[in-house]
Amino acid sequence: MIRAWHIALLLGVVGLLTLFYKGLWGDPRAIPTVLVGTPAPTFSGPEVNTGEIISLNHFSGKVVVMNFWASWCFECQQEHENLLAINRRFGSDPNFVMLGINYQDREEDARNYLKVYGNNFNHVRDLKGTISIDFGVYGVPETFVLDQQGIIRYKQVGPIIGPVYTHLTEKVIQPLLQGPLPQAL
Amino acid sequence: MFIEIGHFAVITALVLSVVGMVSPVLGLKTRNPVWVRIARQAITINFFLLSIGIASLIYSYLTHDYSVQYVAATSNSKLPIFYKVAGVWGGHEGSLLLWVWILSTFCTIAAWLHWKTQPAIMPYLLAVESLIMFGFLTLIVFLSSPFERLFPAPLDGKDLNPLLQDPAMVVHPPMLYMGYVGFSIPFAFAMAALFSGRLGEEWVKVTQRWTLFAWMCLTTGVLMGGYWAYYELGWGGYWGWDPVENASFMPWLVGTAFLHSVMVQEKRRMFKVWNLFLIILTFSLSLIGTFLVRSGVLSSVHTFATDPGRGLYILVFLAIMLTLGFGSLILRSGKLKSQIEMDSIISKESAFLFNNLFFLIAAITVFLGTLYPLLVETLQFQKVTVGPPYYNSVFMPVALGLILLMGIGPYIPWRQASPENLRRTFLIPAIIGIGSAVSLAFMGIRSLYALAGMAVVFFVLSVILLDIAKISSLWARRDQSNYLVGFYRAFTMNQRRYAGIITHLGVLVLVVGIIASTIYQTERVVLMQPGDDLQIKAYTLKFMGAQEVQGPNWVAQEGVFNVYQGSRFITQMRPQKRIYTVSQTPTTESAIYTINMGHLFLTMPEISPEGARVRALINPLILWVWYGGGIMGLGVVLNIFRLRRKEVTVSSTATLSPGPASASGGGLADETVAPHGSPHRDVALNLPPPRRKEA
Repeated sequence: MIRAWHIALLLGVVGLLTLFYKGLWGDPRAIPTVLVGTPAPTFSGPEVNTGEIISLNHFSGKVVVMNFWASWCFECQQEHENLLAINRRFGSDPNFVMLGINYQDREEDARNYLKVYGNNFNHVRDLKGTISIDFGVYGVPETFVLDQQGIIRYKQVGPIIGPVYTHLTEKVIQPLLQGPLPQAL
Repeated sequence: MFIEIGHFAVITALVLSVVGMVSPVLGLKTRNPVWVRIARQAITINFFLLSIGIASLIYSYLTHDYSVQYVAATSNSKLPIFYKVAGVWGGHEGSLLLWVWILSTFCTIAAWLHWKTQPAIMPYLLAVESLIMFGFLTLIVFLSSPFERLFPAPLDGKDLNPLLQDPAMVVHPPMLYMGYVGFSIPFAFAMAALFSGRLGEEWVKVTQRWTLFAWMCLTTGVLMGGYWAYYELGWGGYWGWDPVENASFMPWLVGTAFLHSVMVQEKRRMFKVWNLFLIILTFSLSLIGTFLVRSGVLSSVHTFATDPGRGLYILVFLAIMLTLGFGSLILRSGKLKSQIEMDSIISKESAFLFNNLFFLIAAITVFLGTLYPLLVETLQFQKVTVGPPYYNSVFMPVALGLILLMGIGPYIPWRQASPENLRRTFLIPAIIGIGSAVSLAFMGIRSLYALAGMAVVFFVLSVILLDIAKISSLWARRDQSNYLVGFYRAFTMNQRRYAGIITHLGVLVLVVGIIASTIYQTERVVLMQPGDDLQIKAYTLKFMGAQEVQGPNWVAQEGVFNVYQGSRFITQMRPQKRIYTVSQTPTTESAIYTINMGHLFLTMPEISPEGARVRALINPLILWVWYGGGIMGLGVVLNIFRLRRKEVTVSSTATLSPGPASASGGGLADETVAPHGSPHRDVALNLPPPRRKEA
């Protein structure tokens, strides 16, 4: 009986340490995606509030920022203000579009979330998670930036807060918007 | 220049920590006490060296020395001076230095305090503490040094994270660390007991105050963290089950279990292996918490730099400590058998057993929830987030059980309670508890959790008050004085017990605060133009307009709201939307107005040409959460600084007692227990020994 406890204790400690060791090499924030540098898969779906069908094809030739979120995700609340700030800053640019992708959420909860935390851009519902699977999303929040040619240029796992926010706006979105448009070539 | 002195001091401290580890072992081998004395000196000098290290860092902050990389990363010339000092623990490197400085302080105090009384334990104690210190100093010196220079030096620093620029920041991390590190003293005593084979009750008695002190610091740290999150993050709650919060909560849960279960060992010599296991687990969880927070294996709202090398080092150190702790427990525990078996399931022993069980279940719940994302990721499933619904559904019933035990444990006798005893102590409170739930239900409260919670709270409260009334009246009758004097006598006669009860009362207050502020929160979110009104409960908020304001290192849009109750003007509230200029980080500053110990909580998450998005919350009785914490702290302080009194033998207690033997069903802790099978046992159980000798 006592021996069994000892073995259980040892196994517990060893298992835990192994888990931690494995965990060290899987950074929860920076999961590399094979999709960066490849054309974004296209999708369409209903808007959360209006139900109007939105398709990625509508935005060809534009820089698109896509943010995957859910009302049950706490980290999404943390970054939400910054998302609003991004759209306020770049939203007036005709070549910029911001899209939210509402991941596996109840419609009512999603609407209520946007009411509570504020909203200034459109959100596509992804009830079954098909869009998310196409984009290789691991969890929420995740943010993608697509360039004018529809190629995924940037991916962020985890909230857009602090230095990530500054990097995203200054080093990713701003240069992409200033980049030469394909039509001009 | 100064920073190099600090750097050198910390490197010297690393060398001395090796001395502190090795020389007590030599002392044991050669049986020469000089070696142990050398270890004590090494630890004492380390305290001064690390103080120099911290002082040199503070000096660099105050003199704006941005050639120091750490200062450049966490400070700025515009940062208020208050936060420049706190900036020392505003980042990873500096907080480790603070951690190890607190450790050296505690070690030095412990070494000098227990030097005379614990000579046999001392070499082991010094060696274990030096090992922990060595582990952290190596990390500081080789992997995360706050003393690195930056060349060329930047003109100005990158500023402290805006969320950390808050008064609570100055106190919250040191408090948490004092809690974590404080548990290292009982841990080292336990290890010393295991190594030396002195596995009696002594280590438990010696470390009792240390444990209480560490527990108080940890409790304060956790509650302050909650308060900080509450008004700084602006989401209106104080607990989000975030991995970093959980990392501090897990050692708290197990530490609380330990705090209770040592009483059983003190009084009944039971739970010996169990207590060793609990303290090793508590300190291990402190280290695991440090690992989780510092290695970045989990995603959290608390963003820290992630570095696998650093994480790997902490993991190796963690592995060594876990192996050492649990390994020696396994090797030595064969020697330990409880000398007494449990007599009955209806007894104080079993109340303690359930207490431990519940705390451990709670800790496992939190542990699994925290590590689940990591586990799932490692096993190659999809990534998941474990949210508050999981914790609330599993944690709530356990918490209810624990609160209920607060009304039973201290009042049920050791060994076996008779039905008569149970009826006398618990019948009236049970009726009061159920009655209060029924009347609250009639008053319109429908939440099952709230009703169950309040029933339990009223039950425990009435048990406590009835007991106090009984014991006070007995002392009053005995001394022919009034009840207040009687209560004072009862309190001072058994201060450990009643200080504990005060802590329990604090918990009740806290629980009522949690129930009221989570279940009865009211929320309104609207888009407002200047001149618009917002109605929430009995209050009207009138949006007067927004204005630009400028702070030392931020600019803000400030909303001005007039608050009316009916037509009566009460106050003006000014929530802000700030942008910290250096890091360009936006934050939401809440405005809080206190009403009847609850809060009207106002934030303005967005302001644009369409108007201001306003979020208003009413959190009833939310201040009880922290008032309760304050009362708990008071209880612990009274417990630590109680007067020492002589142990009274069983026979003298029995003959000299004033007779309130049956008044309370057993002391919380500080009563003397008769040997097994003693004929006096009923009488001897709970007596406060009289001060005057009358016989």
